[in-house]
Amino acid sequence: MNDKTMNEKMPLIQVKNLYKKFDQKDVLKNISVDINEGDVVCVIGPSGSGKSTFLRCLNRLEEPTGGHILFDGADICDPKTDIDLHRQKMGMVFQQFNLFPHMTILKNLTVAPMSLQKKSQEEAEGYAMQLLERVGLQNRAADYPSQLSGGQQQRIAIVRALCMKPEVMLFDEPTSALDPEMVGEVLNVMRDLAAQKMTMVVVTHEMGFAREVASRVMFLDDGDFLEENAPQEFFENPQNERLRSFLSKVL
Amino acid sequence: MWKSFEDAFYLNFIEDDRWKYLTNGLGVTLKITFFAVLIGILLGFTVAIVRNTYQNTGKLKVANAICSLYLTIIRGTPVVVQLMIVYFVIFGSVRIDKSITAILAFGINSGAYQAEIFRSGIQSIPRGQFEAGRSLGFSYHQTMLKIIMPQAIKNVIPTLCNEFITLLKETSVAGYIALEDLTKGGDIIRSRTYSAFMPLIAVALIYLVMVVILEKVVRLIERRLKQNER
Ligand SMILES: Nc1ncnc2c1ncn2[C@@H]1O[C@H](COP(=O)(O)OP(=O)(O)OP(=O)(O)O)[C@@H](O)[C@H]1O
Ligand SMILES: [Mg+2]
Repeated sequence: MNDKTMNEKMPLIQVKNLYKKFDQKDVLKNISVDINEGDVVCVIGPSGSGKSTFLRCLNRLEEPTGGHILFDGADICDPKTDIDLHRQKMGMVFQQFNLFPHMTILKNLTVAPMSLQKKSQEEAEGYAMQLLERVGLQNRAADYPSQLSGGQQQRIAIVRALCMKPEVMLFDEPTSALDPEMVGEVLNVMRDLAAQKMTMVVVTHEMGFAREVASRVMFLDDGDFLEENAPQEFFENPQNERLRSFLSKVL
Repeated sequence: MWKSFEDAFYLNFIEDDRWKYLTNGLGVTLKITFFAVLIGILLGFTVAIVRNTYQNTGKLKVANAICSLYLTIIRGTPVVVQLMIVYFVIFGSVRIDKSITAILAFGINSGAYQAEIFRSGIQSIPRGQFEAGRSLGFSYHQTMLKIIMPQAIKNVIPTLCNEFITLLKETSVAGYIALEDLTKGGDIIRSRTYSAFMPLIAVALIYLVMVVILEKVVRLIERRLKQNER
């Protein structure tokens, strides 16, 4: 970590004029955002505003139509950049968990570190068990995903991403597919992560979580960030008219 | 009544050890089917990967065109005609074991159908699985190999077993190239004894018993596969 001093000055992720078009529809309209190390950025906005597309452009699961995304100083939109290498440093958690159903929980957690980071089995499993313990699921290591509840599966999905020791975690509505009584357990894990200074970008409808945990909240509407602020200001003193009407509907 | 049955049985199966036409024929049928399915798996799997890779990445354009042509031709013509073309045209001037010809012909034929089985197996895996793999840092190929294929193959195992059953019956046209499979064995007995009922019913029964047993096995495998995981 000898480039730590440099990182502190430079944002971890710099989004410059990000533009994304699906067919004839402009979904992201020249967005520019900086995400600093340790930031917990919550992205909120109406359905179809482009939140998922924005998040998925950050690790290029969605190919940007234009603009640049600098991560660790490298332009990940450059075709010459090895995106697979950068994705190892960007954990992603999906709405639908997407655990691998043909692998045990432990295998889900170790398959990537072992084959991509050349970790030994003991090392990968040791670290996985350590993280499992932190989310309270160490006794489920030998089970298959289908044997777990939605909330448990999503906690495992978070741990799976963490096992790669990522520099940033991307969440796309991680609690939206969950029964209400399981939302809390997943948010708790994310809260825990934030407390440990993990850099996080979270697309969410959980306003309470955003208010409590975020360092910044951003409002995406119709492909553009219309407002961003610290949570207290954001929720108590919204400036933008569209944000005000959005908040009045969801709060 | 019973006496005439006994006589007919003796004539068709015992005399001159005619039952051997059936057992030897059965051996040939099983051998052809088994190896044809193996060739079919190799071919079908390869074709499915090529077509899927082309569809997802635009790579392998030429290979994809060849595969499409292969599928169109094989699925657009009768298997008997394919068998005869392989035997009389392609290997017409070379002396080669008939059963190898048959294995090749049925294997190539089966491959076209198995390609579709594999392809739909791959496509049945939710997109989220692929994205989860890629987001961890796996390349396209690693994701296919470690995440998608194991699930796809598991899904298609029962269908592949059914393909084996189908092929088992389809190989009964092997007699067209004078290969002595089970059907041909029965037919030879008929031509020796001039009685059609016994040998042909015996042949039908043997197929039937094999198919019924195999279907039971498939159902067993299906249940086992469902038991763990999912
Ligand atoms: N693969 C795609 N092809 C075509 N259009 C797409 C595709 N993905 C998203 N879109 C469109 O882009 C727009 C933004 O979609 P996106 O999924 O980013 O919205 P969102 O803010 O995440 O919405 P939600 O809250 O419903 O998840 C929508 O109008 C959607 O229809
Ligand atoms: Mg979305």
